[in-house]
Amino acid sequence: MIRFEHVSLSARRASGQVDLLRDISFEVPQGRILGLVGESGAGKSMVGRLIAGLLPEGFRITQGRIFLGDTELTSMPPAQRAAMLGRQLVFIPQEPLTALNPLMTIGESFAEQLEIIGMARSRRQAEILRRLEEMELPRPGEILQRYPHQLSGGQCQRVLIAMAFAAEPALIVADEPTTALDVVTQANVMRILARQQKANGASIILITHDLVMASHVCDEMVVLYAGEVVESGDARTILAQPLHPYTQSLSGSTPKLAGDVKRLPTLEGFMPGLGDLAAIAGCRFQARCGIGDARCGQRRIELRQMEGGRAVRCLKVGVSLGDTAEPVAADTHGRGEQSAGRADTPLLSVRNLSLTYRSSGGLFSWGSRANKALDEVSFEVYRGECVGIVGESGSGKSSIARSIVGMHGECEGAIEVDGISVIGARGEALEQLRRTAQIIFQDPHSALNPRRSVFRLLTQGFEALPGKARHDMAAQLEGKVAQLMDDIRLPPSMLGRYPSEMSGGQKQRVNIGRGVFLAPKLLVADEIVSGLDMSVQAQILNLLKELAGRYGIAVVLISHDLAVVRYLCQRVVVMYEGRAVEQGPVDEVFLRPRHDYTRRLLAAVPSGDPGKPWPVAV
Amino acid sequence: MEQGVAGPQSLPRKNAVLRALKGLSPKAWVGLCIVLFAVFVACAAPWLAPHKPDAQDLLNMLLPPMWSANGNPDFPLGTDGLGQCILSRAIYGTRVAIVVAVSAATGAMLLGVVMAMLAGYFGGWVDRIIGYVVDLWMSFPPVVLSLVLMVGLGTGVVNGILAIVLVDWTRFCRVVRSDVIVVRRRQYVAAARLLGFGHWKTMWREILPAVGPLIITLFTLEMGVAVIVEAILSFVGFSVSAGTVAWGVMIADSRDYLHEAPWGMLTPVFCIFLLVLGCNALGDGLRESLDPALREREKEQG
Repeated sequence: MIRFEHVSLSARRASGQVDLLRDISFEVPQGRILGLVGESGAGKSMVGRLIAGLLPEGFRITQGRIFLGDTELTSMPPAQRAAMLGRQLVFIPQEPLTALNPLMTIGESFAEQLEIIGMARSRRQAEILRRLEEMELPRPGEILQRYPHQLSGGQCQRVLIAMAFAAEPALIVADEPTTALDVVTQANVMRILARQQKANGASIILITHDLVMASHVCDEMVVLYAGEVVESGDARTILAQPLHPYTQSLSGSTPKLAGDVKRLPTLEGFMPGLGDLAAIAGCRFQARCGIGDARCGQRRIELRQMEGGRAVRCLKVGVSLGDTAEPVAADTHGRGEQSAGRADTPLLSVRNLSLTYRSSGGLFSWGSRANKALDEVSFEVYRGECVGIVGESGSGKSSIARSIVGMHGECEGAIEVDGISVIGARGEALEQLRRTAQIIFQDPHSALNPRRSVFRLLTQGFEALPGKARHDMAAQLEGKVAQLMDDIRLPPSMLGRYPSEMSGGQKQRVNIGRGVFLAPKLLVADEIVSGLDMSVQAQILNLLKELAGRYGIAVVLISHDLAVVRYLCQRVVVMYEGRAVEQGPVDEVFLRPRHDYTRRLLAAVPSGDPGKPWPVAV
Repeated sequence: MEQGVAGPQSLPRKNAVLRALKGLSPKAWVGLCIVLFAVFVACAAPWLAPHKPDAQDLLNMLLPPMWSANGNPDFPLGTDGLGQCILSRAIYGTRVAIVVAVSAATGAMLLGVVMAMLAGYFGGWVDRIIGYVVDLWMSFPPVVLSLVLMVGLGTGVVNGILAIVLVDWTRFCRVVRSDVIVVRRRQYVAAARLLGFGHWKTMWREILPAVGPLIITLFTLEMGVAVIVEAILSFVGFSVSAGTVAWGVMIADSRDYLHEAPWGMLTPVFCIFLLVLGCNALGDGLRESLDPALREREKEQG
C-alpha cells in the first residue's frame, strides 16, 4: 500500500548537508502491519512526518520516492497531499489527551471528523455509536457527552482509533500509540487495533520503541538506527533471531518475565546525533558495536538481502554477540534468601495505610467528595532488600511512594522508617527521616533544577545539612563527589554541565546520585525508567542494582513494568484500586499468581517468546 | 567551608553571565547604554555642567538655544525665566531622577518580592491575606494614592520615594507571585524539600533564581515608572525641596513662559522621555534575552 524507495531526508547544517534518514526502503502491502522500531533519535517519527508531508523547516528529501498505492506522494502538490490527511491517510498520536480538542465533547469531535470525510448529517450519530461499540467502550452513549479530560488515556486512545478507522483509510500511521498507557490498557488497545485492522483491511505503520510488543503485533518489522534501516524482515523471526548487533543488544537489554534473571547487557555510549553523522564514513553503529573491526568503518555498509525476505546492514552477519551475561548470583542481592535476615525488625513498615483525597464540592454544594487513593495497605521492607510495587496508574503506587517520604501528611495508619514515625514527623525526627529515606522522581527533567550544575545538584543534600554537620563534611566533599561520579558512571568533566546539556539517561544518573549522596538506608524509586529507551533503561537498572548492593540500600521500586520489578526485586506488592491485593516473593507471585488481577497483569505483558499469542483479552 | 564548593561551580557561573551579556538583544543594549549614560551624567554633573544649576544671570533671561539667532554659546540650551542655564539644570536634574529611580525601584522590588514569595510559597491563608491587601491597594487610583500619601508623609525626596514604593510594590507582588506559584509546583522544589531543605533555603536557592530574570525585568521597567511619578510629584511641588533641581520642577517653572520660551519645557520633557525609553527598552530587551535563553535551553532536552 505504501512504498518507500531509497528515501533520504537531509537537513542543512553549518557543516553542510546531513542525512537524517538515509536510503530508507520498505513496503507495506495491503492489510499488513509494519513495525518501525528504534530508540529516540533513530528518526522513526520523521518517517511519519515524511508520509504526512509535514517536514520541519530546513529539511528536504534529497533522494528517493514515496508511493501510496500507485500515486507518488513525493511529487504531489502540497494542497493535494494535505487533502489526503484524515481521508486516505490517518494518524494516531502518542498523547491521546492532547490530540482531542478539550473544548469539544467526544461526540462533537467525532462528528467533525465524519463531516470531513463527507458523511451525511443524519447518519453520523448512528455511525459514531456503532464505531464506539466496536471499541468495547462501555456505555458509548454517555461517552459522547463527555469531554476528553473526563476520560482515561486508554478510553481517549480508543476513541481516536475509532475516529481513525471511521475514515476507512488506506493507511494508518500510529506513532507510539500505547507508550503513555498501562500494560493492561496497552494490551486491550493493541488487541482492538489489530482486530479493526483485520476487519477493515487497512495497512498500518506502527512506530514504537518496544521491540517485543512490535514483534507480536506486526507482520513485518524495520529496525532503525541513526536514520538507517539496520534490519528488516518478518517480525517474529527478528525477535527470535536478531541478526544485527544493534537488534541483538536491544533485545538483550529488555528485561524478561521468563527464564533466568541475568545481568542485562548494556550498550555503552550514545546513538550519534545529527551533528555527528557527517563524520561517520562507515557503519553508524560501529562505535558501540562489540564485534566490529576496521573494515566496518571504511565505507558505507549496504543492506544485505538474506534468505526468508530478511535484510541486514552489517558485514558480520552470523557472528553472535554471545551470551556473556552471567546469571545474577543468588548471594549478591538477596535473591533466593528471602527468609534470611527476617529476625531483625523491618527497615520500613507500613501498617493499614489509608489516604483519602477530599475535593470540596464548590460553594453551593454541601459536604465534599471523598476519593480513596489508598485503602488499608500494609507491607514491610527489610534492610538491603528490594521490594517492587506494581499496578496500573491510579492504583495508588505513587501515593505510597509519597507517603513513605512524608509528602502526604494527611494519611492514616502508621509508617515507620528505621524507628522514625513518618506521619506527623517534625523537627529532629523529620531531619532524621530526610537522611534515612530518599525518593527518586520519575522524570529527571523536572526533578532537577535547570539552573544548577551537576556538582551543585549532587551536593544538594550537603547544602541541606545543618551548619555543624556541613562543616564536618566540607573537607571530604570533593572526594565524595568524585566517588559519586564514579559510582554513577559519569566522567568528572561533566561536573560543570547543566541538565539541559545532558541526555535523559545522564540526567537520571544525576537524579539517582543526588538521592544516594547522604547514604540513605531506604531509596524510593518512583517509575525511574519509564520514560527511557530500552538500552538506557538497562544501564539505569544495572546502576541501581549495583549501588543498592554496594551500599546496602533498601529499595522500594514503583513500576508498571513487571519485568523490571522481576529483574531488580526480591519481593513484590501488587496494587489494585488502592489495595494491596497480593504480595510475596517475586518468583512465587509471578509464577503462581493467586489474585485475579495479578493474573490479568501478567497476561498483559507481551512475552519475549514470539510464539506466545499476544495481545490476548485481559 | 565554601572553598570546596567554589572551585567547580564558579567557572560555569562566570560563563553564564558572559553568555547572558553576549545574548543581549540590540534593544537591551540601546537601553543599557542610555541608562548607563544617565548614571554617568548624574555622577559627573559638576564637571559636565557649564554653570551652577542655581546660578542666575538676570541679564540673560529666556535665552533661546545657542544655534538660533540670538543664542548665546555660554548657554547651549538657553536660559529660563531667572536666567538659569537650562542645560546645567537638566544635567543636575538627572541626579534626582536616577536616585529616585534606583531607590524607589529597589524598595518596591524588595517589598513586593518578599510579599510575593511568602504568598506564592506558603499559599493558603498567607496567600489570601496578601492577595486581599494587594487587591485593596490596587483599587485606589495610583496618582491619587501617592498624592494622599505625600500629604500624609509631607514633602521631600525621601517621602517621594516612599510614596512610589508604597504604591508600586503591588505591581511586583502580583506578577512575581504567579511565577513563584508555578515554580513552587515544579518537582525539583519538592525534591529539594525532601533532601532536607528548609523553607528559607528552598525559597532562596531554588525559587528565587528561577524568578530572578522576571524580577530584573520588572526592576528596570519600574525605574522608568519611578522617573515619571517623581516628575509628576515634583511638578506639583510635593517632592524635592525648593532649592533642588528636578525635571518636574523645571517643567513647572517653564509653564509661565511656554509661549515665549518653549525650549525651557522641551528639554526636561526630552530628558524624561529618553531615560524612560532607556529603562523600558532595557527591561523589554532583558525579558526577551534572559528568559527565552533559559527556556530554550530547557526545551532542547525535552
